[in-house]
Amino acid sequence: MQPTEKTSPGPVTDGRPSSRKRWDTTDLSLVAVFAALIAALAIVPGIPVGPLGVPITLQTLGVMLAGAVLGPGRGTAAVLLYLAAGLIGLPVFSGFSGGFGVLAGPSAGYLIAFPPAALVAGLLARAVLRSATRFRTVLLFLACVVASLSTIHPLGVAGLMVNAELSLRDAVLVDAAYLPGDVVKNVIAALLAVSVHRAFPRLLARPRA
Amino acid sequence: MRGFGSTLGLYRPGAGLLYRLPLAPKAAASLGCATAVVGWGSLPTTSTVLVLALAGLLIGARQSVLQTARMLLPAAPVLGILALYQGFSQGWVQAFVVVGGIAGCLLAARSVTLTTPLQVLLDGTASLARPFRRLGADPERFALALSIMLRSIPYLAGLFVDVREAARARGLERSPRVAVTPLVLGAVAYAHRTGEALAARGLGEHDDEEDDRGQDHGSVVG
Repeated sequence: MQPTEKTSPGPVTDGRPSSRKRWDTTDLSLVAVFAALIAALAIVPGIPVGPLGVPITLQTLGVMLAGAVLGPGRGTAAVLLYLAAGLIGLPVFSGFSGGFGVLAGPSAGYLIAFPPAALVAGLLARAVLRSATRFRTVLLFLACVVASLSTIHPLGVAGLMVNAELSLRDAVLVDAAYLPGDVVKNVIAALLAVSVHRAFPRLLARPRA
Repeated sequence: MRGFGSTLGLYRPGAGLLYRLPLAPKAAASLGCATAVVGWGSLPTTSTVLVLALAGLLIGARQSVLQTARMLLPAAPVLGILALYQGFSQGWVQAFVVVGGIAGCLLAARSVTLTTPLQVLLDGTASLARPFRRLGADPERFALALSIMLRSIPYLAGLFVDVREAARARGLERSPRVAVTPLVLGAVAYAHRTGEALAARGLGEHDDEEDDRGQDHGSVVG
């Protein structure tokens, strides 16, 4: 069952410098609900992994889903909203109770990496969904893998080095403990994204003229 | 998960200097602590941040030592392991600098959420977007998105529990895909319903964007 027709992506310029189309209320609430979804997945008790015990949670699954389901713009906005809620102190981060304190914590690099991760995943996922008709799950999985390897892992390692004062070698070793879980989460994200786009084909459809 | 709603109540009514202080200086101090610890991690920085955070909580918010210690409980495993790692590899002074700094920042952040009612916190956050209005930011829409998000968390958490129970009943609790698919589909459907409800009330919509939207409601996931 499809929800209402989206607003026409016609030129709505209300003195804004950018030319991007205004989000309607459905876009707004998709952003808000996906931010809540990341929070809900993050606060499910995680499994502490590796010598530093940074927990494996479904948090990154939520980030990838936001990108792959909502696309680059709304996906990144959802992740930013989630981070904003956590930074003002709402308990939406896994393990830590939120607030500016997490910026000094060992997992700060991972949190900072979330918006670019959703952006990369969203850009790639949109390209896949608009051009590929076959092997979508595999291509979406690859999109998520590229996104997480290009953003989450490098920034996560940097965060461990700066905040936890680990050497590069140790930081990479700690980070590597998350790779297997990450692959599993990316597989799930790809399967879920395909299901969602099958149920809601208009979410990332090419805008009609 | 079901108890999550209660953990959103971070504010505990009380008395003390921190309760009377407006949000802006408290938030700035908390951010300042995090910046100092990340930027200039050293023994004096860590000591200052720890003393400030503890003084704020114990004197400014009149918390007991036990209450203060309990605030670090969620982060305790990570901090403990990090302390041991730093202690054996770089010495115990370095361990104190790293772990004490993180603990101080967490306590400083907690002292803000402890002494500020949620609504004040949300209003303050929305007002942060005000200077960016010229760049296209919309504080009202930001505040609306934030409150929709907070309202959705208990709904999604409840949905997650229900879906998990349904999966367990079918003996599929070990498959994360089965456990999460209805959750995500339910979230998208919920977002659409919320968006339509907002549009029907003329909230979060731009004035020149009023258009006739066909109503095609219905539960998407049974």
